[in-house]
Amino acid sequence: MRNGSDINSPAGNTPVIPPAEVEPRRRRVTAETMAAKQRDISVSEFFAKNRHLLGFDNPRKALLTAVKEAVDNSLDACEEANIVPEIWVHIEATGTNRFKVGVQDNGPGIVKKQIPLIFGKLLYGSKFHRLRMSRGQQGIGISAAGMYGMLTTGKPVKIISMTSPKKPAHYFEIQIDTRRNQPEIINGKGDGEDIPAGEKGHQYIADHGIEWVSHYPTLDEQSRHHHELRRGTRVTIELEGRYVRGRGSVDEYLEQTAIANPHVTIHYVDPDGGETTYSRSTTQLPPEPVEIKPHPYGIELGQLVTMLKSSHGGTMSQFLTTSFSRVSSGLAQRICEAAKVSTRANPHRIGRQEADALYVAIQNTKIPPPATNCISPIGEALILKGLHHQLPGEFFCAATRPPAVYRGNPFVIEVGLAYGGASPTQKVTLEALTELLEESDARSLKQFLLTTFDGIGAAGAEKILAQAKLGTRQTPAKLKEEDIVQLYAAMKNVNLTEGQTMQVLRYANRVPLQFQPAACAITQAVIATNWRAYGLAQSRGQLPVGPITVMVHMASVWVPFTSESKEAVAAYPEILRELRLGLQAVGRKLAIYLNRRKRVRQEGERREVFLRYLGEVATAVAAIKNSGDRSRKELYGRLVDIANRKTAVADTKLDDRGKKIEEAAEDFGENVLIVNGDEVPS
Amino acid sequence: MPKKTKKTTTDTATLTAKDKKTLGSIRGLADDVVQFAERGRAPYVDVPSRSLSNVRFNQSKRIIEMGTGKNRRELFNLAQARSYMQTLLVGTGCKQLIEQGKTTSIRGLFYLLKHTIEGTSEETFDAQDECDPVIEDMEVTLDAMREELHLYAKNAGAMVGPITLVDSGDQIDCSRMGSGGYSIPSIVEPEIVEFKKHTAKFVLHVEKDTVWRRFNEDKFWRKHNCILTHGGGQPPRGVRRMLHRLHYELKLPVYCLLDNDPWGYYIYSVIKQGSINLAYESRRMAIPEARFLGLRSDDYKRCQLSPSVQIRLNEQDTKRAGQIAQYAWFAHKKPWQKEIELMIENGFKLEVEALISKDISYVTEEYVPARLKEGNFLD
Repeated sequence: MRNGSDINSPAGNTPVIPPAEVEPRRRRVTAETMAAKQRDISVSEFFAKNRHLLGFDNPRKALLTAVKEAVDNSLDACEEANIVPEIWVHIEATGTNRFKVGVQDNGPGIVKKQIPLIFGKLLYGSKFHRLRMSRGQQGIGISAAGMYGMLTTGKPVKIISMTSPKKPAHYFEIQIDTRRNQPEIINGKGDGEDIPAGEKGHQYIADHGIEWVSHYPTLDEQSRHHHELRRGTRVTIELEGRYVRGRGSVDEYLEQTAIANPHVTIHYVDPDGGETTYSRSTTQLPPEPVEIKPHPYGIELGQLVTMLKSSHGGTMSQFLTTSFSRVSSGLAQRICEAAKVSTRANPHRIGRQEADALYVAIQNTKIPPPATNCISPIGEALILKGLHHQLPGEFFCAATRPPAVYRGNPFVIEVGLAYGGASPTQKVTLEALTELLEESDARSLKQFLLTTFDGIGAAGAEKILAQAKLGTRQTPAKLKEEDIVQLYAAMKNVNLTEGQTMQVLRYANRVPLQFQPAACAITQAVIATNWRAYGLAQSRGQLPVGPITVMVHMASVWVPFTSESKEAVAAYPEILRELRLGLQAVGRKLAIYLNRRKRVRQEGERREVFLRYLGEVATAVAAIKNSGDRSRKELYGRLVDIANRKTAVADTKLDDRGKKIEEAAEDFGENVLIVNGDEVPS
Repeated sequence: MPKKTKKTTTDTATLTAKDKKTLGSIRGLADDVVQFAERGRAPYVDVPSRSLSNVRFNQSKRIIEMGTGKNRRELFNLAQARSYMQTLLVGTGCKQLIEQGKTTSIRGLFYLLKHTIEGTSEETFDAQDECDPVIEDMEVTLDAMREELHLYAKNAGAMVGPITLVDSGDQIDCSRMGSGGYSIPSIVEPEIVEFKKHTAKFVLHVEKDTVWRRFNEDKFWRKHNCILTHGGGQPPRGVRRMLHRLHYELKLPVYCLLDNDPWGYYIYSVIKQGSINLAYESRRMAIPEARFLGLRSDDYKRCQLSPSVQIRLNEQDTKRAGQIAQYAWFAHKKPWQKEIELMIENGFKLEVEALISKDISYVTEEYVPARLKEGNFLD
């Protein structure tokens, strides 16, 4: 096509073949026949075929993803409406590998017209077009979950939503027309049903078998009366799934959500009927994030061109100042000058080349970083609360980094750290262990331990099995009762703190990331951090070892995920840098704590050594002096006093350089929580 | 230990003035502890340092003397707590021995004091080599000789020759000792070993038992009218003290027949100037007039020995030889510098037994007599 003669050949339907190639005698298809098959692909169809992109690759993950999408939406809605979120998650087994997932919130509710669109149409949402921190981003999640349920069980998605206690609630049963990416309402003759407000409504709900939690649970009979839910939304999806506890499970997701969202209460009923409540530790909602305009550094050329075309008249100067954040009229003038475009030019008339120049000019002009009130970090105090509330431990600390920017998107990195406490294997009860073993699809016991419990490591698993006198290759489901008891005892007894690897909890906009840890910038940053400097053991390219949990939260208007299923954060250098600094901040605090602990331990050992010899010394002196037992005891007592004083002095007042330090002078900085041995978390 | 002492305090032996003095010093140690404790201070003992840094060569007396340097041993110091405890234990052991008028070997004392510390699995002493240095520390700290602590080491070394002595009341004629000779006890102080009469002209000290036997079998001492001793390698205190007494009390010159290697040189140096570890004993043991008879580095050529008797010098030997050449008492002696240089140049060492390759009795019939006749010694 590059030859001179070919350039003028009509760019039409006849394919142009280079002269060197011989035209085949008979073509199987012509452009015309091909054209007949060429048509639009609906997003729904695309995702129905590529459901792994959305996190529905296997039944186990599908169950989690459905819960996750629904809970995320609920939390976003509650926070936006300034309501302290209360979430109900009910999972019920309806058949082999079939589950009914119901997620209800006390959020603002959804107006009737929007319900089918939100739950029955892919890529429909409020969050995509704005730059503001939220859990959901694209508007795929919940409708995709519904679609998945419909594809695997044929059951429609059921939604009930109440916007006010005085107005009727709406009830819909929806299916998605995957071809057209349109919702199809099944009940109420394609119009949905209205449920009257008040008592009548309760009756109606009961009569029609609609699932709805109408009252807040009473926590304390005396102080609280039975609250009725005034508004809220419940979505029920029936889908094919697999319920397995342990890593990557719904339980884990809810627990981790509770850590990063200390203002949320979750009532959870698992398929076995077990009820768990993750109660809030604060009623203070995170500050409402403000919506911002895009920062000029963050846009791409094509985007700029689109924006120019769709601008509402005015001048170039107006266009720049109103469409972008942080562009003053002075800055707009500088950009225009650099791009050799008049500030008065009409944005509609900007040509391709001018747009190009404008784009380069923007990149080369120094523009202040974007405003950071569009993101609301959890905050150090609440991270501490969340960690302490949900995790055992003796030392907690947190660090929130100042906002930073990648590709024009502001973001904040927060890191929390919990040290010490029992390992996950010690928390489990015998009944839970029996259930876990039954549910497990692991081939061997070792694999079962590794996949069910976090951070125990291969060595830890082998240690436990050796103590329980069970083979590493035994099948978990075939374990006899006494074997289970033995395994349980071993799990309680084996001290895993030595071999335990650090547990990393990753969050993006308060949503736990449970999969693809290796691909995630957060894990990479944790591994790249030199934890040895902070008193932990770490092999090269590995997570550090010890009874530690690190939670890392990235809050941003736009979290760069590596895929649509939102499982791993992409490794932009700016993000990695902030992660490193945040991890180092908590690492330093941990080092201070560990050093202090070590010193206390060393002093204890020192004292022990002295005490060991004092008896001998006193006896020897008495023997030499031919003195009695009384003076021996007296001498011994005096020596013990000196020993205690000696070690006590070294204990509190001397650091390793022999410098005097007072207890208070140990500067942990702010937001550190140290729990003494037996103290029970409040 | 208190149980034992209580039981035995009744049968206290009659104490000599020396014993009373030693007991007083031991009691001083215990009193210190009580006083420190009463004042709320951490107890310590100052132990004269027995290291190279605390010895100095006395040019006029030509012996190694201990300096005034002391190491403080503290009870409340992690590294020293255990040895502090052991020091006091050795004190109780010696006190018990003195009070009962008995002596024991240093190994015996080790067993006397070894027990498990109450409430632990730790032993007061793990091995004898942990106990021996503490005993030596005790000697220097109390300024008491080993025999004053009622301790002795195992016998090592033998003696034969025209001399009669009285050992603990028994008369011993050292010319009638058969093939084994008179075993030199570890304590040979005049109270225990008394010289009666002798006709010897000199003392020949050989390095080890095997060579000594050759000389004894050939009745060298009878032919040359001398006293023949050996120290089983590095001579222990008893042997050194015996040589010292023979030299100073009987005015006999002492000649040493040692291997031609750094170890042999060092043995000579210990006999002549005293050792670093026992520098405080030098004035009772060192014999600055002792002479080095052989083997010499040039003996290989002089005696035309076969090349197969050479033993290669290893790296450590060369290093050690260098160190010995640096000793203050060798540094200014040209013949010695030449001697050591020649050995390093040769690249091999020679044992006295090497002379047997010439003839079984070459060493007794030719080598030593020739040296004595020529008066060819190293000083």
